[in-house]
Amino acid sequence: MAKKTQAAAGFGRHQIEDFRITEEPFYLPISNEVELFESAYEKQIPVLLKGPTGCGKTRFIEYMSWHLHRHVGNREEEGVPLITVACHEDLTASDLVGRYLLEGDETRWIDGPITRAVKVGAICYLDEIVEARKDTTVLIHPLADYRRLLPIEKLGEILEAAEGFLLVLSYNPGYQSALKDLKHSTRQRFIAIEFGYPSRRQEAEIVATESGCPQGVALDLAKLAEKVRNLKDHGLGEGVSTRLLVYAGKLVTKGISPSSACRTAITWVLSDDAELQRSIEEVIASVFEE
Amino acid sequence: MSHAAELIERTAAELRGIGASLVAPFAAAAGPMEGHLEPDALREWARIGLGLARLSPRSSAVAAAFFEASPAVGERGIAFLSVWAEIAVGLADRAPQAAAAFIEATPDALARLEPEELEQWAGRGRRLIRGGWKSSKLAEDFFRIGPELLEWLPLRGVDRLVDIVERVSRRSHEMGSLCLHDAPELLARLASADREPFLAFTQAVCNAAWVDAHRCFEHGPALLELVRPDQRSGLLDLAATAAAEVGSEAFSLFATAAEALARLDSADQAEVIEFGRRLTPHGARVAIASLVSAPDVRERLTSVQARRWSEAGLELLATPGAGERAESYFRLESALAEEMLEELTPRVELGSVSGVLRLYAKALSGAQVLVYPTGTLAGRNIGWVAEVATTDGLSVFLPPAVEIFGDEYANFQVYKVYTTHQVARLEFGSFDYRFGVDGEHLSSTALDRERRVRDRPSVVEPPSLPAVTPMQRLLDLFDDRRLASKLFALAEDTRIDACIESEYPGVRLWLRRLQKHEAEQRPDVQQMVLRRAFVENLLRASLGHPETIHWPERLAARLERAVAALRLVEREGATVQESAEVTGLLYDLAMSFPNLPPKLVTGEWGGIDEDAVARVSVPSDVVVQPGEELPEVEEDPSPSSEQPAYRGDFKPELVQLLDELTERERSTENGVQLTREQILELLEKSSEIELADESDDEPQDLEALLDNLEEEAAERAKGDEEEDDDEPGETIEWFLYDEWDYRANDYRPGWCRVGERVAAEGDGNFYEETLNRYHGLVVETRRQFERMRPESFRLLKRLEDGHEIDLDRAIEFRAEKKAGVGPLARFYTRRNKARRDVAVAFLLDMSGSTSEEIPAPPLGPAGSVAPVKRQVGGVPANGEKRIIDVERESTVLVVEALEAIGDAYGIYGFSGHGRENVEFHVIKDLGESLDESVRRRIAKIEPIQSTRMGPAIRHTIAKLNDHDARVKILILVSDGRPQDEEYGRERGEKEYAVHDTKRALLEAKRQRITPFLITVDSAGHDYLRHLCDDIGYELVADIESLPRRLPRLYRHLAAE
Repeated sequence: MAKKTQAAAGFGRHQIEDFRITEEPFYLPISNEVELFESAYEKQIPVLLKGPTGCGKTRFIEYMSWHLHRHVGNREEEGVPLITVACHEDLTASDLVGRYLLEGDETRWIDGPITRAVKVGAICYLDEIVEARKDTTVLIHPLADYRRLLPIEKLGEILEAAEGFLLVLSYNPGYQSALKDLKHSTRQRFIAIEFGYPSRRQEAEIVATESGCPQGVALDLAKLAEKVRNLKDHGLGEGVSTRLLVYAGKLVTKGISPSSACRTAITWVLSDDAELQRSIEEVIASVFEE
Repeated sequence: MSHAAELIERTAAELRGIGASLVAPFAAAAGPMEGHLEPDALREWARIGLGLARLSPRSSAVAAAFFEASPAVGERGIAFLSVWAEIAVGLADRAPQAAAAFIEATPDALARLEPEELEQWAGRGRRLIRGGWKSSKLAEDFFRIGPELLEWLPLRGVDRLVDIVERVSRRSHEMGSLCLHDAPELLARLASADREPFLAFTQAVCNAAWVDAHRCFEHGPALLELVRPDQRSGLLDLAATAAAEVGSEAFSLFATAAEALARLDSADQAEVIEFGRRLTPHGARVAIASLVSAPDVRERLTSVQARRWSEAGLELLATPGAGERAESYFRLESALAEEMLEELTPRVELGSVSGVLRLYAKALSGAQVLVYPTGTLAGRNIGWVAEVATTDGLSVFLPPAVEIFGDEYANFQVYKVYTTHQVARLEFGSFDYRFGVDGEHLSSTALDRERRVRDRPSVVEPPSLPAVTPMQRLLDLFDDRRLASKLFALAEDTRIDACIESEYPGVRLWLRRLQKHEAEQRPDVQQMVLRRAFVENLLRASLGHPETIHWPERLAARLERAVAALRLVEREGATVQESAEVTGLLYDLAMSFPNLPPKLVTGEWGGIDEDAVARVSVPSDVVVQPGEELPEVEEDPSPSSEQPAYRGDFKPELVQLLDELTERERSTENGVQLTREQILELLEKSSEIELADESDDEPQDLEALLDNLEEEAAERAKGDEEEDDDEPGETIEWFLYDEWDYRANDYRPGWCRVGERVAAEGDGNFYEETLNRYHGLVVETRRQFERMRPESFRLLKRLEDGHEIDLDRAIEFRAEKKAGVGPLARFYTRRNKARRDVAVAFLLDMSGSTSEEIPAPPLGPAGSVAPVKRQVGGVPANGEKRIIDVERESTVLVVEALEAIGDAYGIYGFSGHGRENVEFHVIKDLGESLDESVRRRIAKIEPIQSTRMGPAIRHTIAKLNDHDARVKILILVSDGRPQDEEYGRERGEKEYAVHDTKRALLEAKRQRITPFLITVDSAGHDYLRHLCDDIGYELVADIESLPRRLPRLYRHLAAE
C-alpha cells in the first residue's frame, strides 16, 4: 500500500475514481469468500457483506479490489477502482448522485461518488448502508438488478453502468433495531457473504501479521477476544473486533505491557459500564501473566 | 398459781366475750410468754391482745394471730410487742386479713429484718391496700410470701417489687397478683446481683407499658441467661435507661438485644455492653441498636476492626444533629455503615462481587453461567450440602464470603480462582465423561475392566440394573466406590488446574498461592490408614507440593508410580477420559497394599524421589496385575481429609444424572428408558450422596432427594423451552433498591426488593367497551395527539450547504454581492427528517387504597374540576367510581392517544407488601407492541396491597434508562398516598414515605427523566403537595377532564 504510506509521510491527492490499491493488502481468507466474490463480480451480481464491526469487511473489499485485476484479466491498470462511501444518517440521494454547485456566475454539476463509479466501472462500496436514509437505498435499486442503470433526475439522464461496475454494501446486523434494518426490496437484490470472527488461530495470525507483535501475544489476544465475545448480549453490544486486537498488538510492539494495552484498546473502548469493565479486566488479568 | 394462769383466768372471760376462738391461742401463748416477760409486761401484753381483738368486729383474727405469733418474738420485750401491735392496728384498720398475715409473717421476717425495719416493711404492704377486698387480698398475699421474698431481696428491692405490683394491680388485679406470686420463683432464678437491676428494669418497663411487666417476669430470666453472668446487670441497667426513652417497645428491644448478645462470645459481650453504656447518654435507642447489630458486625470484622467501626459511629453521634443518622448507622441500615464495614475488613462478600464474577464466568465459558452463594444449592436438597465452591453443571456456587488473606485484593483473587476452577470444569468438560472412549494420550480400558468384573467368580452382588450415566457405569467397576470417586476427583481436579495454568497464565500466580496455602494446612498423614494416606499424598503432589509428601519408605516405589500416573493428566490435550483412566491406575495401585491402620505401619517414613517419578513410563510401568484380595480395615478411624477449598465439591455423578433427567424431561415422547429404581440405585451407591449423609444429621431420604432432582430437571427443561420460545411464564425477576431515610440523611442499602412480573390478564372485552363508552373522548384525544405528530420532512432553508439551490435566495445573493453587500452564501435547502424521540413510562398505583370511591364531579359546566363530595341518601350521585377505575379507563385513553403519536411507552403497575415484596406488574413494556394480551392486562388493573412508591419509581427509572430515547418521561398515577408496612420508623408515619418518594423522583430528574405526578384524588394535596415544589404535579379529579388535560400536559412534558 505504497500510496497510503506516502499519504502518511506527506500528502497525496487523487480523483476518487483514479485511486488504486497498488500493493497487496493483507487478507487472510477465512472460508471461500474470495472465490464467491470473484464469481459474483464476473457475473455482475451485487454483494452484501454482513458481519460485526472490525471483522474485516472493508479489508476484504480492498483486497478484492487489488486482487480482481489478475483474475478478471483484461485490464491494463492495476486493480479495479474502489469507491467507498461511508453512509451516515444524513446521507441523501444527491450526496450520492451529484448536485449543482454555484460557481462564479453559473451553476456547475458535480458527479457524486456513485455516478463516478458507474462511469468508470468501479466497485462502489457503501459502508454501513443501514445508517443511510431510506430514500437513499431506493436509489440504488435500478443499479442493483439486471438493469444496471442510474437515473439522474436533475440532469434528465440515465447512465448505463460501465462493465466493471459492482455495487457492494456492508451491513452490521448487530444493531438490530427495527428502524435500522435493511428493507427486503433492497436486501433481495444482493447475494450476501457473511463474515464472522476468525478462529483463534487465524485471528492470531492476522493480529501478528498486522501489528507485528510476537506470535505468543497474538495468540493470547485472540484467546482474550474469544472470551470477551462471550459477553456479547450481556451488557456488551458487540464483541471485541479484530481491529481492536491489532491496535492492542501494535501497542505491545511499542513496549506497552499486554494488560495495559488491552485496557486501552479493549476494556475502555468496549464499555462504559464499571462492572462490565471490571469483568473484562479480570478476564485480561487471567489471560495475561503480568 | 403462776402469773400466767392467773392472767388466763382473768382475761379468758373477757376474750370469750369478744370471740370464743381467741381463748385457746391466748392460753397456749401465755405460758411461753411468761418466760419472756415480767408480770407487768405480761399483763400489758394481754391488754394489747385484747385491744387488738376489740378493734373491730373482724379484728379477732388479728388478735388470734398476735397471740399465736407472740411466743416467737416475746423475747424482744414488751416495747417491741407494743410497737408491733401498733403497726398491726394501722393495717387492721383497712384490711384485717392483711394485718393478721403481717403478724403471722413477722417471726420469719425478723430473721431478715432489723426490728426497726418492721414498720417500713409493713408500709410496703400497706401501699397495696387501696380499699376493696381485692387490694386487701393482695396485701395479705404480700405478707404471706413476704418472708420468702426477704430471703431473696433487701428491703429496698422489695420496694421496687411492690411498686411494680401496685402499678399493675391498679389496672388489673389478676395480673398484679400474678406478678406477686411469681416473684419468689423468679427471684430464685436470678443471681443475687441481678435481682435488683432486674426489678429496676421491670419497673421501668412497667412505667412505660404496664402490660409488659408480667412478660418481663415470665421471659426475662430466660433471656438474661443468654448473656454471660457478669454482664447481666450491666445489660439490665442499660435496658432500664432505654425503657424510659423507648416506651412500649422497651421489653421487645431488650429481648432482641439479649438474643443478639447470645450470638457473641463472652469477651465480646462485655465489650459490646460496655460500649452500649457509653452510647446511652446519646440516646437509649442508639445504644440498643448497637447491641443488636453487634453480632452481625463482629461476624464480618475482627474485634479491633469492630471497635474502630463502633468508634466511627460514636464520632457520628458527636456531630450535632446526626442522631438519626447515627441510629441508622448502628442499626446497620445506612449506606455509610456498610461502607465503613467494607473499608475496615479485607473480607470480600460474594454479594459485592457476584456481578463481576458472573460476567467473568460467562466470558470464560461462553455459557449462561450464573453465580450464587452455596446456601442456595444446599437449600434445594439435591445432594449438595457443604458450604464450599461447587457447580451443578449450570451455575457456579461460591461461599458467601472469603477472608483467607489479609487484604481485600487478595481475597477477591481467591474468589476469582474459585470461579475459574468451577467454570473450568464446564469449559474443559469435567462432566463429559463417556464410557469406554479413548483419551488423547491413553486408550480406554474401561470395557476390559467391566468384562473382568463381570466374570469375576466372587461377585457378591452383580449390578442388577443397567447404569444410568457413564459416570455411574465407570464407578460401578470399583469395589471401593468411595475410593474410586475420590481418586477420580483428584485426577480431574489436577487436570483442571493444569488446564487453567496453560489457558489462563494470569490466574497461575494466585492459583499457586492458594495451592501453597492449602498444602500448608493438610492434616497429618501419619494418623491415617494407609490408603487414605496414599490419597492424601497424591493430593499434595497434585497441589504442586510433592516435597510435603510423607509416606512409608518401603512403599515409596508405588507412590512414585502413582504420582507419575497423576502427572499424565497434566499433559496438554488430556481430557476427562484420561482422568478416568488414571483413576483406574491409581485405584489398582492403592489396592496393591493392605489398608493398614497407622499403628501397624512399620518402617521409616519419608518423601519420594523425583527422579524416580520422572523415570516411570505411564501406563506400562504403572499397571498393576490384580492380585489376591487383601484384608480390609472395617472402620476408618482417620480424620477426614477435605478437598482443598479452591477446588470445592466435585460431583460428576450427580451432574450427569441431572443432565440425564433433564434430557428425559425434554423428550417425553421418546419413551422413558430410566426407571425410578435405576436412579435410586445410583443414588444409593453414589459416594457423592453419602458425603451428604455425614454432615447432615437427618437421615437422607433418597426418595425425597430424587423428587427434588426430578423437579430440578423439570425446571431446567422448562427453562430451556422458555428460552427457546421466549414465552413469559409466571416468573418473577427480583431487583434490589436502596431506600432513602430522610432522618439519617442516607440511603438504606439494598433495602427493598422489587419483583417484576408480567401482569395477569383480565376480561378481553373491557378495552373495547371502554372505547365504546368514551367514543367521543377517544376520538378527541387521538385528534389532539395527532396534531403533535411532527411532519416527517421539514424543509430547512438558508443553509451554507444542502441538497438543492433555493433559487430566490441565490438570486438575492447574486444581487447583493453585485451591490457589494456580500452576505454569507446561504442559499441551499435541505429536507430534514424530524423524528420524535420520546419514551414515556406510566406507573400506576395498584394499592388497596385505590379501591376507594372518589367523589363524583359536580354536574356543572364542564371544566370546573373542584370536586365536591356528594352523598344523596347514600346513593352515588353519578355512579361513583373507584380510583382504580379511573386509572384503568384513563390508561385505555392514553394508550389510544400514544398509539396515534407513535412514541415509545410502557405501562406498569405497582403494589406490594413490605419492603421485601414490592410487586411490579408489567402491563406493557417499553419495547412491547400493543396486542391483545396487553389489552387484557389493562383490564386486570386491580387494587392489590400497599403503596411503596420509592422502589417502584426506582425500578421504572431503571427501565427507562435501558431504553434509548432523547426525551424520557415518568408519569406516576396514584391516589397520592405512599403507604406500606414499615414504610417509616413508626406505624402510620407519612413523612418517611413521602421523603423517599420524593427522593426517588429527584433521582429520576438527575438521570434526565422528567417525572410527573398525576393524582386521582382530591385528598392528594394533603400528602404530596410538598413533594411537588419542583416536580410536575397535576390533580385529575375525574376521567372527563383527563382527555382535555392530557394532550396539553403531554405536549408540555415532551417538549424538547
